[in-house]
Amino acid sequence: MKDKITKISLWLMVAMFLLAYPKLFGMYYVNLFVTFMVFAVFSLSFNMLLGFTGLLSFGHAIFFGISGYGTALALRHIEGIPLFPAIGLGVLAAVILAVVLCPVVVRVTGTAFAMVHLAFGQLMYVLALKLRNITGGEDGIGNFPIPNVSLFGLFSFPLKNNPVNFYYFALVILGICTWLMWFFTKTPFGQIQVGIRDNTKRIDYLGFKVPESKSVIYVTSAFFAGVAGSIYGLFHNLVSADGSLNVLVSFTAITATLIGGIGSFFGPIWGTAIFQILEELTIRFTEQVELVTGIIMIIVIMYAPRGFTGFLATLKLKWQLSRAKRRG
Amino acid sequence: MYILETKDLNHDFSGLKVLFGVNLQVKHGERHAIIGPNGAGKTTLFNCITGTYKPSSGKVLFKGMDITGRTPHELTRMGIGRSFQITTIFMNLTVFQNVRLAVLSKRGIRFNLFRFVDKMKDITEETEEILRRVNLIEERDFPASALSYGKTRALEVALAFATDPELVLLDEFTAGMSRDETHAAVELVRKLTEGKTAVLIEHDMDVVFSLADRITVLHYGRIIASGTPEEVRSNQDVKDAYLGDLEV
Amino acid sequence: MDATTAMYVSQAIHGIAYGMILFLIASGLNIIFGMMGVLNLAHASFFMLSGYFCYQVLKLTGNFWLALLIAPLVTAIFGIVVERVFLRRMHAFGHLGELMLTVGISLVILAGVKFFWGTESLPIPVPEALQGLIKIFGLEYPIYRLFVIGLSLVVLLLMVLVLYKTRLGMIVRAAVSDRDMVNALGINIPLVFMVVFGIGCWLAGIAGVAIAPILTVFPGLADQVGMDAFIVVVTGGIGSLGGAFIVAIIFGFLSSFGIQFVSQLAPVLMVGFMALVLIIRPHGLFGVEE
Ligand SMILES: Nc1ncnc2c1ncn2[C@@H]1O[C@H](COP(=O)(O)OP(=O)(O)OP(=O)(O)O)[C@@H](O)[C@H]1O
Ligand SMILES: [Mg+2]
Repeated sequence: MKDKITKISLWLMVAMFLLAYPKLFGMYYVNLFVTFMVFAVFSLSFNMLLGFTGLLSFGHAIFFGISGYGTALALRHIEGIPLFPAIGLGVLAAVILAVVLCPVVVRVTGTAFAMVHLAFGQLMYVLALKLRNITGGEDGIGNFPIPNVSLFGLFSFPLKNNPVNFYYFALVILGICTWLMWFFTKTPFGQIQVGIRDNTKRIDYLGFKVPESKSVIYVTSAFFAGVAGSIYGLFHNLVSADGSLNVLVSFTAITATLIGGIGSFFGPIWGTAIFQILEELTIRFTEQVELVTGIIMIIVIMYAPRGFTGFLATLKLKWQLSRAKRRG
Repeated sequence: MYILETKDLNHDFSGLKVLFGVNLQVKHGERHAIIGPNGAGKTTLFNCITGTYKPSSGKVLFKGMDITGRTPHELTRMGIGRSFQITTIFMNLTVFQNVRLAVLSKRGIRFNLFRFVDKMKDITEETEEILRRVNLIEERDFPASALSYGKTRALEVALAFATDPELVLLDEFTAGMSRDETHAAVELVRKLTEGKTAVLIEHDMDVVFSLADRITVLHYGRIIASGTPEEVRSNQDVKDAYLGDLEV
Repeated sequence: MDATTAMYVSQAIHGIAYGMILFLIASGLNIIFGMMGVLNLAHASFFMLSGYFCYQVLKLTGNFWLALLIAPLVTAIFGIVVERVFLRRMHAFGHLGELMLTVGISLVILAGVKFFWGTESLPIPVPEALQGLIKIFGLEYPIYRLFVIGLSLVVLLLMVLVLYKTRLGMIVRAAVSDRDMVNALGINIPLVFMVVFGIGCWLAGIAGVAIAPILTVFPGLADQVGMDAFIVVVTGGIGSLGGAFIVAIIFGFLSSFGIQFVSQLAPVLMVGFMALVLIIRPHGLFGVEE
């Protein structure tokens, strides 16, 4: 009971902080936080595959990117399309891509899974650059119209050139996504997912269909990556190959997840925050994103493989042990 | 009528022949032991029956139905359970979560994305009931990797039974156990197989003779004898080939 | 012979030359994978790095042949150092962790290359002796491409000799077919690892120098050619040399004829081919289950 009250008040405090955030900090930090939320959700969707199913993808940006392009194209070419259908179309593109890839993806595991995604990712990137008349080539699709947020005419507020409104909009959408992904891990199917990571053979022998289950996870993961990508495109009012489809976008999710710890649901959120802070700090000294990302990956894998949440868990364990010792 | 039958089952691994025309017959409700020296092809036979491998030729019949080449999950859903010689459990999940997965499968809950699994009372109760039966309730919240060897094997066996199969195949469930552990495991299997049909691969002759209603002897991929323990014990071929070595 | 045939033949030569380069990189990847069980994603970066070393040697001496000798050797030494310092110490999360580690290394190399040599693409002149065209059966071929094919064949022959005629080769073959066995044999593994890793990087280095005059050297080289080599390895079956050879040649053709006929969509061909193969054979053409 007492636990529950502490928990609820803690969450209330977090919620209040998030609501007040734009009032407390300047525009720069509001935008930074939106980026954080987008990549946190993207990394969570990535960790659905790596941490919860044991599948490492080097090309998760394909879903992030295609959804961004989908939304941007819809807004540019479909006259008067409202906001949510446009996002929906982008996410639909990501889901369709995932469904198309399923036959390959459910058959390969381990190294091959990673490499296949690297290849798909590179292919999408090259196509986005080459199919200029659709994607705008290197410039991408920019400055497309962004309709107001409105729900059944109940309310309506503008997003374009309004970072504070965008902050709240992103907070709600990405908050819901985070909750849904968390809920996913708590359902019976979420258990099967963890089982696949742990021992695929036994899952098969318990009577679950492994390929079908993997497909569901894969498509779900693509869905959430898609939402993140679509919001990201809206946020910048620009979707480009380098911003949304580059292999570095995929590596961002990997790095953030590693930093946070792949073993925990909330790991990628911590990881994204830490990664962003590190980037903010290092960007003053070097423009080389690759260098920063690369060094972080090397250090984390070699010296802190369980990441930040692993570190927290170790601390907690030590604290409990010392307390137990003091009690005798 | 046999619950499980193989007809002229052959299997080879890219040229290496391991099974030669095996005709296994398992009766309804019996405990049937398969014995034979190391490398005789016992595990391969199980693998061909339960869908790990598709046999090179021959047929597998379950309750008269041809199940050759079916996948493991199909066979589990038809009522066949299996434990492995090499422990195959979810090492990073708790004992409870291990068994709960089996219970979920048995209830046909596979793509449920709409409920908290922890709040499904009936599932929790049934899982705990099984844990009590297999004496793992004390270890309910241990990660499987933290169990003692004997308990690990008990969990392996529990997973084979937790989907409530009609037919279970147990591959050396006592392998590597101490005397006490073996004794406990034998009693457990005796209890769990009540009202079911079981096929046991087993090296320990004490275990075989205390559990088995019938025995099949596999020798270099061929069945050389099959019958009641007495028949097998007095079979000259078996004595020559196998039991003689073990001084039974 | 008419113009169309000539075009086909010359495209075929391009295809074979590119296929052989891909195979040099892929075979290095495969023997390292066979020994250590890790697909070294930094391999493509070693390949690129060798191109830059070649540029540097040329700048200092102006001698291509010297560059062909030195650059791959330096690359091999560099690779060995990386293996010693990073890969060998790494055991967390098994192969996925190693894979991510090699990605980190390749990113750092990329950053280093940009730092030392800039982001421009650096031209490497074709050595004088190999410039121009040669006429065989009334058809003209670029000499340098033929040289690349010849060089690759020589290296290939060398590799076959080492693999089948030396003790080291025997160990490597044993390791590629069954990694545990080598551990069981009690051979000095760290030393063998080092040598094999060095040879793998040397092969990538040769490819890097060979391709430099054709494509120039630029920071995207690792991504562009390396990606093709990785696709070759995955499609041929990770760890399979024969598979890599066949697929590399197929990809060489896909690439040269693809650019001719469907230039925009040429990259789709390779990835599509890979996807098709993996749907039918999840472990690649000649791969076995991990
Ligand atoms: N996947 C495989 N590939 C190649 N050969 C195999 C494979 N599995 C088993 N074998 C071979 O088949 C033969 C039979 O093996 P199997 O595991 O069925 O024997 P077993 O009777 O279960 O022995 P044990 O009592 O040691 O468990 C052995 O010679 C073994 O080496
Ligand atoms: Mg066996």
